[in-house]
Amino acid sequence: MTDFLQMIASGIAVGSSYALMGLAMVIIYKTSEVVNFAQGEMALLSTFLTYMVLEFHGVPYYMAFPGALLFAVFLGCFLEFAVLRRAKQPNVLGMIIITIGLEMILMGFVSWKFGADPKTMPFPIGAYESVALGDVFVSSLEVLTFVTAISLMIVLFLFFRFSKLGVAMKATQQNSMAARLMGIKTKRILMITWGISSLVGCTAGLLIAPTTMHPFMMWDPMLKGFAAAVMGGMTSLPGAVFGAYLIGIIENLFGGYISIEFKSVVAFFIIVLVLCVKPSGLFARHFVKKV
Amino acid sequence: MKRKGMWITSVAAALFLALSFGAGAEEGVTDTTIRIGQWGPQTGPAAPWGAVARGTGVYFQMINDEGGINGRKIDYRMFDDAYNPARTIAGVKELQEGVGIFGWASGVGTAPGLAVKDYLMDRKIPWVGPAAGSLHWISPPQKHLFAVYPLYYSEAQILTKYAVADLGMKKVAIAYQNDDYGKNGVAGAEKELEKHGMKLVAQVPVEMADTDMRPHVMQFRKSEADVVLLWVTPTHAVRIIGTAAAMQYQPRWMTTSTCSDFPLMMAISKGLFKGVIAATFGELPDSTSPLMVNYRKAFDKYAAKEERWGLFFYAGIGFVEPMVEAMRRSGRNLTRERFVAEMEGLRNFQGILGPIDFAPFDMNDPYSRQGQKAVFLVECLDGGGYKQLTDWVEPD
Repeated sequence: MTDFLQMIASGIAVGSSYALMGLAMVIIYKTSEVVNFAQGEMALLSTFLTYMVLEFHGVPYYMAFPGALLFAVFLGCFLEFAVLRRAKQPNVLGMIIITIGLEMILMGFVSWKFGADPKTMPFPIGAYESVALGDVFVSSLEVLTFVTAISLMIVLFLFFRFSKLGVAMKATQQNSMAARLMGIKTKRILMITWGISSLVGCTAGLLIAPTTMHPFMMWDPMLKGFAAAVMGGMTSLPGAVFGAYLIGIIENLFGGYISIEFKSVVAFFIIVLVLCVKPSGLFARHFVKKV
Repeated sequence: MKRKGMWITSVAAALFLALSFGAGAEEGVTDTTIRIGQWGPQTGPAAPWGAVARGTGVYFQMINDEGGINGRKIDYRMFDDAYNPARTIAGVKELQEGVGIFGWASGVGTAPGLAVKDYLMDRKIPWVGPAAGSLHWISPPQKHLFAVYPLYYSEAQILTKYAVADLGMKKVAIAYQNDDYGKNGVAGAEKELEKHGMKLVAQVPVEMADTDMRPHVMQFRKSEADVVLLWVTPTHAVRIIGTAAAMQYQPRWMTTSTCSDFPLMMAISKGLFKGVIAATFGELPDSTSPLMVNYRKAFDKYAAKEERWGLFFYAGIGFVEPMVEAMRRSGRNLTRERFVAEMEGLRNFQGILGPIDFAPFDMNDPYSRQGQKAVFLVECLDGGGYKQLTDWVEPD
């Protein structure tokens, strides 16, 4: 029983970082229907620059972390403004390909600037300190990640549901022409979306870096986050978070009871299954364009 | 018709002339240069091991500045294969068939090496010191392939023996990378345990892409292992130890030479690597032996500013020392045949790794192509220091 509970706890713990990446992807998808494959590497760049100022320039935490988030917003807005907006005759597929290109450029930059040796991010709480809940152990960092993921989800959910800007974002996705006619500056909206998404991704990066930090650290969380988002229907914030925790827990249980070798691929098997049964995702209320 | 005949004759004549001029010298050797190739991951997940190829580069530069080998400078051609076997074979072919390479030095990784092994061996091109301790290099032995890196299999045997016989451990488990590297470790540990009438209490595969190590640690905890061997990458080793610490499970950890770069391991584990026992195959980084001091000077002079004097950097020197020695002994008349004979003549050769012996080629003796057999065990101290636990040990 202890083992079972530990696996569930571990699943939730690892699910939190997937959830953050999933949220980040959903935000961009919600407004532009573009799957942003550069999501992980945008976070990577912000994270490594934070590492640089902390480790080599002696900047204190209380300045470095907010600075990182600010930089992430700027980076997101900049990429949208400088690269995606410049695309001629943009269509969704073309945009996705551009994000893959960005992914490679950012990854190349980080590998070149910081080298390939693994590193660890200095962090106010120890990466492997744990709290015991009975016989079940969770690390304090995991608790922090969990709390962050859930609060971000709630904030974003409320933002999209009730704020003017959030509604404008939704409108842009559903019918950008009509949105523009209603006086929404759709281009600016897109740029802001990228900024917010980059911020959420950066939070994930900062919370992953104390345990794993090398140029490839975001691959796994990004892919799993994407899987979670797909499972939740790509447009639903709670859906992505729910999907992420489900994937985390199933992975851990699968690894514990069935086969640890196939643990990492079980997430993708679940996606196939979900898409077969409910093609629009578990939580989707997909807006259907009427002709 | 007549015209066509003329054409064929002249082309044949041209070919004949071209070939007859080339026949005198060995491929990749000119009056003033010897062309040596190497691959190594400079990008991608395996990039930390790419230091091997750069170490070799600094060593060759040092040799060239001291006048080269019998009047010939080494023309070193290294390329980045990102630990991707498809890129290794493409790059090797490009260099071999494009510019002509005399022989290949080291090269990181079992999988990349396996991708080019047959290609090189079919063409009888010498290859010395692959940077991986795989059984594939010597079983079956190949006339032109000289392994230097001690076998992962032997490392596992020696570590297991130390755990059981010297430390009195009762339950041995292993975390292994799910490929040839990891499986060699499992095989070695099993072999040794058999002698003591024991079995592995848990063997847990780790995939390269895995980042969450909790399920793995759960298995060890369930098995109540008191010693766990880590046959994985440095990053995974640290994550496993850290995750176990967070779950308050603390067995004795042991690991391969791959994770024996203690200063690096201590830095990325924030001190958790202290007390880990590892096998290692070469002198320690702060060694003051004349050779090491010499190489250290070359490092200061030629290496890039960001380079670190780590185990894998100078291992890139150690793996090719025997190659350089055999080229020296071959004299001015350097041919592949002569070179192989000189390699076979190396007995008790001592560079910065352990003693290295080769023997005349024998199909039935894999060890005729396994240069270094011994490793020694070290324990990680505070600040990434080394405490030597044993002398050079060979597996029984």
